[in-house]
Formats: sequence, C-alpha cells, structure tokens
Amino acid sequence: MIDVTALPPAPTRGRKKKSFKILLLLLGFMLFATLVDVFVFARTSLQLDESQSLFQVSRNIPGLLNLVAQDVHVPGYHLLLHFWILLFGSDITTARYLSIIFFVATIPVVYLLGKNVFSRRVGLFAALLIAISPFMLWYGAVARMYSMLALVTVVHQLFFVKIYKTGKPIYWIGYFFMTIIGLYTHYFFSFVLLTEAIFYIFYRKRFPPHSFVKFLISLLIAFATFAPWLLYVYRLGLASNDQPYLTIPSSGDLFDAYAQFLFGFQTNGINTFIVSLWPILVLAAFFTLQRKKRTTPASIFLIFMAVLPVLGAFVISLLVKPFFLSRYLIISLPSLILIFAWVISIYPIKIQRIIQAAVVAGTLILLMIEIINPNSPIKEDYKDAVAYVSSQATAQDVIVATAPFTIYPIEYYYQGPAALTTQPIWNRFVSGSVPAYNPKTVVAQTNENVLNYQHAWLILSYDQGYNTKLKNYYDSRFQLLEHKQFSPGLVVYEYKISYNKPLSIP
Amino acid sequence: MNSISSAKANRLFLLLNVVLAIAYFICIAFFFPIGNPVLFGLLIGCEVFHLLQALGYVHTVWPRKHSKEFETSFSEPVAVYITVTGEPADIVEATVRGALSMEYPAFNVYILNDGYVANRENWQEAEEVALKYGITCITRTTPGGAKAGNINNALSKTTEPFVVVFDADHIPKSHFLWSLMGYFVDKRVGFVQSPQFYKNQDQNLVTAGSWEQQELFFGAILKGKDAINSAFMCGTNMAVRRKALEQVGGMSEFSIAEDFLTSLLIHQKKWKSVYVDAVLAEGLAPEDFLSYYKQQFRWARGSLEVVFKYNPLFRKGLTTNQRIQYLSSASFYLSGVVVLINALLPLVYFYSGLQPLTISTMTLALFFLPYIFIVLYTVQLTSGFSYTFRALSFSISSFPIHLQAIWQIITRKKSGFVVTSKRAIKGNHSYLVTPHIVYIVLVILGVIVGSLREGLNASILSNAAWSLVYVFTFIPFIMAAFQKFTPDSNEEIALKPVTKEVIND
Repeated sequence: MIDVTALPPAPTRGRKKKSFKILLLLLGFMLFATLVDVFVFARTSLQLDESQSLFQVSRNIPGLLNLVAQDVHVPGYHLLLHFWILLFGSDITTARYLSIIFFVATIPVVYLLGKNVFSRRVGLFAALLIAISPFMLWYGAVARMYSMLALVTVVHQLFFVKIYKTGKPIYWIGYFFMTIIGLYTHYFFSFVLLTEAIFYIFYRKRFPPHSFVKFLISLLIAFATFAPWLLYVYRLGLASNDQPYLTIPSSGDLFDAYAQFLFGFQTNGINTFIVSLWPILVLAAFFTLQRKKRTTPASIFLIFMAVLPVLGAFVISLLVKPFFLSRYLIISLPSLILIFAWVISIYPIKIQRIIQAAVVAGTLILLMIEIINPNSPIKEDYKDAVAYVSSQATAQDVIVATAPFTIYPIEYYYQGPAALTTQPIWNRFVSGSVPAYNPKTVVAQTNENVLNYQHAWLILSYDQGYNTKLKNYYDSRFQLLEHKQFSPGLVVYEYKISYNKPLSIP
Repeated sequence: MNSISSAKANRLFLLLNVVLAIAYFICIAFFFPIGNPVLFGLLIGCEVFHLLQALGYVHTVWPRKHSKEFETSFSEPVAVYITVTGEPADIVEATVRGALSMEYPAFNVYILNDGYVANRENWQEAEEVALKYGITCITRTTPGGAKAGNINNALSKTTEPFVVVFDADHIPKSHFLWSLMGYFVDKRVGFVQSPQFYKNQDQNLVTAGSWEQQELFFGAILKGKDAINSAFMCGTNMAVRRKALEQVGGMSEFSIAEDFLTSLLIHQKKWKSVYVDAVLAEGLAPEDFLSYYKQQFRWARGSLEVVFKYNPLFRKGLTTNQRIQYLSSASFYLSGVVVLINALLPLVYFYSGLQPLTISTMTLALFFLPYIFIVLYTVQLTSGFSYTFRALSFSISSFPIHLQAIWQIITRKKSGFVVTSKRAIKGNHSYLVTPHIVYIVLVILGVIVGSLREGLNASILSNAAWSLVYVFTFIPFIMAAFQKFTPDSNEEIALKPVTKEVIND
C-alpha cells in the first residue's frame, strides 16, 4: 500500500497557472532590464575603470594576470572577459554585454532567494526592484566585475540558505564552487563569507548535523584554491600600484551608499533631499510593529548581509585604510532590496499596495533622472570630451590627461593627430606605481611641451589630490582659451602654451 | 530557536540595547556640539528619561529563572467580589454567571454594589441580579474611598481568608480559582494577579488600541515583574490574602490607582506576589474615546501620585528590584512631557531656526538609527512579537492625558475615581485630539515658514521628516477619536461565550 498522504501533492492547475504567471513576470522584468541596459546604459561613454578592464584583458593570460595583480582586483572576471572579447569582439559595447548577462541573471535568483527566505510575493517584488534599480542597471552595463559579483553573491546566499534549510548535498556542492568563484570575482566577496560565518555562529544549531565540518572543509579547500593568487600577488609585491586615491568615509558616505543602492546616482541636490529624510526610516520601523510578524533566522541572515559588509567596510576604512566604495559593496544590495520588500510586506495590505506603487514609481522616476541628467555624478563622458578635443586639436597640439590613468579612456576614443601624454608622465608598460605629483617635474615636463607644441588640451578628471594645483599652475603661466565640462569632474581646458612656430615635421 | 535559545537571544539584544542606549546618550550629552543651551537642556532631560525607561524595561524583561510553589489541592474558602457601580444588569449578570460556574470547593460570590452611593438610577438592578442567582449583594449606603472603599466595606462584612475581585464586566473562566489559589500554599504570597483580557478588542479602533497597549503590559512586563517579586495588582482578576490586605489597612483609599498603591504597601510588608500569565477572565475595553481617555487619565494620575507622594525609592521594606519596578512603572506617565518636547523640537526649528545640537543630520542618523532599530526589535522579541504600531501610537499620542495628570498633581487638584464605562458614551469626542490636530497644522505652517527663511535645506527636510514621524504616529489615535460609536453594539459581545486565548505563550 502506498501512503498517499506521504506523497507530495500533485501540482494543481491553479498552482501551475500561478507559476506560469510568475515566470512571465520574471521574464518581463528581465526583458525590461535587458532593454534599458542594451539601449541606454551600454551606449554611454567608456569609463575609466572599463578602459582599464579592456586594457588588461587585451593582453595574453600571463600579461593579464600581471596587470590585474597590480590592480586591486582578482582575475576571475577579467579571464572571462578576455575570452568573451576574443569570441565576440573587443569594443566596449560588446564587453558590456557580458555584464548585462550577469545582471539579468541576478533577477530570477533574487526571486528564488526571496521565495526561500520570505515568500513568493516578497521575492517577486524584490526581483522587480532589482530590475528597475538605477544602481544595478548602471553597473549591469559596466564592463567591470560588479554585476558578476552581485550574481555570485546572490547564488552563494541561495545555496547558504538552502543548506540551512535542507542540508542537501547538491547545495553543499553549489556552495563550494560558488565560494571559489566568488573569491576570484572580488576581494569584497570575503565580506559575504564573514557575514555567513557570523550568522552561523549565532544559529549553528539550526543547521543540519555536521555542517560545521562541511563548512570548514569547503572553505579550507576554497581558500587553498585561492591561495596561489594571493601568493602571486604577494610575490609581485605590486598590489597597491594602481590603487585609486580614496578619502576616509564620513557618516554621509555611509548613508550615501545606501541611498545609491536604493535610488541610484543622483545629483547633490536630489541626494541631499533623499538622505535628509532619514527620520522617515524611524516611521518605517514603527510600521513594522505588527502582531505576530516574527523575524525568522533566514531573514536575520539577509539583514546581516545588508548591514554588516557595509558597516565592516566603513569601520575598516576609518580605522585601517580607506576603501569604502558603494560599487564594491554591491554584495549588500540584493539583501537590502529583499529586506526592503519584506518590510513593506509586513504592513497592512492597503498601506502595502500604496507604498509598493510609490516605491516603483519613485524608482522609475529616479532612473529616468539618472539616465537623462548629464550631471549625474556617476557619469564619465570621455566620449564627448575626446570628440570635442578631436574636432579642434591639431598635430601642433598636445593633449595632457590628469590623473595619469585617465589616459586609458582618452586613448580609446582619440584617433587624432595631436600628441597624447599625462601629467605626471606615466609609463604604463613598465611595472611600477603612478608617479606622485611633483611640481618641479611638472614644470620640466611642461617646458618640454612648450618647446614642441602650440596648444595644450588639459583633460582633468579623477582628481587624485592635485588636479587643482596643476590647473592653477597652467592658469598662472598660460592663456586659457576655452574650457568645457562634459560630466561631473571631467573638464577640458585649452591653453595657448607657445607663440613660437613649432618645428616642422619632415 | 534552538541554537540561541529564546532567553539567550533576549539577553543578547537586551544587552545590545543597553550598550546602544548608553552610547547614544553619551554621544548626545558629551560629544556633539551644542546649539541652543535651553533646547539642549530639554533634549538631555528627555534622553535621561528615555535612558532610564530603557534600562527599566531591560531590568523588567531580563530573562530570569524562577519557580513558585503551587498546590492543586489548595481549597481555603474564597470570597468572590464583583464590584458594581451602576453597570448594566446584563453585564453584571454575565459576570455573576461566570463566577458561579467556577470550579472550586469553597467560595461565595458577592456583588459589591456601589450604585447607591454613586447616585446611579439603576442601583437596585445589582440587588435584583443577586436575588435572581441567590447570592449576597452588599450595597453601600455610606460613600467614601470609591472602589477601594467598596472592597474594604465588603471585607468588614465577610470572613473568608481569601478574596477575589472582578470588575462588573470581567467574566471568569471556570478554572479561574484553580489556577490562582494554589499559589497561596506559600504562606508569604499576598496576592495573585491574572491578565485583563478585552474580548471586545476587535469592536472598534478604541478597543483595539486599548487592548494592544495592554498586551505588552500583561505579557512581557508583568511576567518580568513576576520573576522579581514585583508584580502589582490591577484591580480585577486578582486574588488577595485577607491577612495581607488587613496588614496594610485594606485597599488604599488615598489614591485613584488603589490597586497599584495597595500592592506597593503589601510588598512593603514583605508579602510576595505572583502573576499568572493565562487568560482566566474576559472583560471589556473602553468602547468610546472619552471612556478610554478617562481610564488612561485615572491610571496616569494614580501612578504619578505614587511617584510624588509615595516615592518607591524611599519606602522602607521594598527590595531594590521592587523599588526599580514601581518607580519605572509609575514614572512611565511622565513620558507625556518627553513626547511633547521631542515633538516640539522640529517646530521650534521651523519657527526660530534654533536647535539643540549643531551636528550634521547624517551623524545623528548614524548613532540614532541603529539604536532605535535595536530598541524596536528588542521590544518585539521580548514581547513575543505582540506589540503593534497602534499600541505605540496610543502610548505616544496619550501625551495630553499624561500632561493633564501631571498638571493636576502639581496644582494639587483633586480627582475622583471614575469607573470606566462599560457601554460606549454617545457624542463627538474628537475635541480630545485637538492638540494633535493643532500640531499637524503647526507642522504644515512651520515647514512653509522654515523653507521661506532658509530654503529646503537638509535641516528643514530632516525636521520636516521628524515631525512627519509624529504626525503619522498620531493618526491612528486621531482616527479612533473621530470614529462613530454604536452604544448598543456590545450587548452581544458581553454575553457571548469566552473563546479567545491571547496572552498564553
């Protein structure tokens, strides 16, 4: 006799219909995200970081590893991008499609994570918020590892939650492999592992038997596979060569990170408006006081994931070394969105619907602003800046890029006859860090330019602490003919640096 | 929870709560730049109060192991008092029926009729009910002492060594006496209290709000007090040892919160108290806003009297735990002043540009948000996730009631004991939320004035958001005040069988 009650219930027609409806909605979200990224964000100007990606992955594998080791990153994404451009082409738009794939794949995984931790409704709403998130859409179309990091994090979290709930071997295998991939995607993935470890310490007895040993073995093997990379970086001793100049974060930066996660990259005015309304969070917390709405351990895991990496990076940046960048903390974004969707789901149904509609409408409006507004702080319009210079600079001119590493995106677009240099001068093809700003060296380099060129096109962006000094020096010595700003922090200045007829080129 | 047990989790969050509360207070008091000194002083006063209340709450609900003697075969005679002051006969009758159906070997039911001394037209109805059910009705003819006087009068006319008190609308369950009396096997137990459960909680916004406020008190708070021998009597659904009452001269007639003060006096005589966390009787919440207002006022006035006239800190015979608990419970009603000051701070900024601190709003957020989130989560965790936004709204919005009580105490104005109406009082009670409506209007005007002065800058926006927090918190209270009442709708509820169990964990 078969015990009928022991069998799982056969999927009913209604349930199938519901699943189909959810599938359609998820496909709709994914289609929206793809269209926005392919037709809007993938067509924007190449950014500095992307140009570095392209530069690094255009080498052979040993060269690529060497360059990435000099950077502050790990080579997982770069290796994938290397083969991607070999297969599909090396232009920036093609390179960005790889990131779009990672981003779009994140949407259904967020749904699955939300479904497993909370409910289908919460998962679905979170998936929608991810699909329309100005932050995710932006980094979804950036040829960097961030969308891959988000995807790997969410998949890893899903396996972790599944282990917590069922302990099935398949999830352990998934967890193990995703740990290795995560470690090779970004150093900040270690915050994911640390947060999971903290959660495990609190809820260890809720996990299946022997999970401690299994976690230990998984992590030891994963770290063993990662160790060669660390040894390689250590042996090269170059890890800090290309590190950008970062300031110690303030409390404002901390809130800005969360504001960016939820509302994207807005101008100072809009950002101040949003962030200043923080007391509303107190009201939102008051609204969560609902009878018998308990927080489950799995939801606490997501709260940990939304908070601890950000706080950890903030505290370490204060106490040890600044590396607080919202894009590195993309690991917290899916959890934050899930928690946000869950908190709204706690409210009485009428309030829930109103807030959901307001959140979606508000996010879409902010997305539109991010797209349309040329002053959006994330934008780097090297494309138009270089086009502007190209249309005017001649073979008797010199283009001076500062900070020196901004040579990458300028070089990508510039095809004209003018000479291209940096101040301070930096030879990218020789191992070593970007030279420090030295007024005497700058004077010597400028004098040399004066001898050879008529006009200097000073392209200032990515201030490393000396852009103003350099500009003041040029202002004090040369006649400023024109200047134009192309995006926040990216300005082109044209100076007449010599009145002598240049040497004719034979 | 298996890995971190409930008690461990509670301790962890309570500790975190204390750490964050102290850290936040220290930052506010000593590290942030001071703006206007007067406003800063007021803010610090509020923060001291918050800190003490937070520490008091942690002290109350801190998980402790405790055990109490209980004897199922305890069967000493009990006098069951049903206090009546002109309540409708059907309500009294339902309670009498419930009392008579209790399972216990030796008890007598008495109606303590104060209708005559309270000049109620229907005062004879209680006697008719007593006659109908063959029980004794003790009708007072000499007024004095309100409910406490009524009970004391009955004490002089009855002889049972234990008394149980029910308000006219609190219908006991059949196992009420079995569940309570066994604790008196410990000869030092002076009284045993059980929760007040409102069966009409779903009737309207007022009953819902009243009950949700009660739930935290009759859940986590009284359970916590019980663990440190600090539970107090709540006027109904309680059993008291006659000897303990007699030692303190009966129920105290000098306070309108006679139950609270009598508990304190009994504890002073080294009697123990017990709280039984099970719904053993079901009563009625105030159905209309005016009745709710009067009930809250009576509790506030009575409790604050204890702070000012019988300050537990200086009463001999109380343990340290009891001193802390009585003071913390009684001083809760001072929160009206704190709410008023906190709610006015944004308005002061809108109209004058003055503020207590001159730190960036983000820095304040960095310290305040983790603190408030942990506080709210801890309250939920320790209350078994029973606290609601409406309960919070009613507590915060009751600030005019608390202020009125404080004012009456300061001006030494006398206030009589008013029995909470068991039927909705007709009429428009929305005038009782005039302060809240005025606040909303002032906020709207204030935002305009402030914006005209300095534009929509971060400070104006933050203060606007703060005042919105108060506005939205007042809304459920305002809605309750504007709700139309249907006075006859509770007849059915008063007589329907008891079904709900809410407080049991």
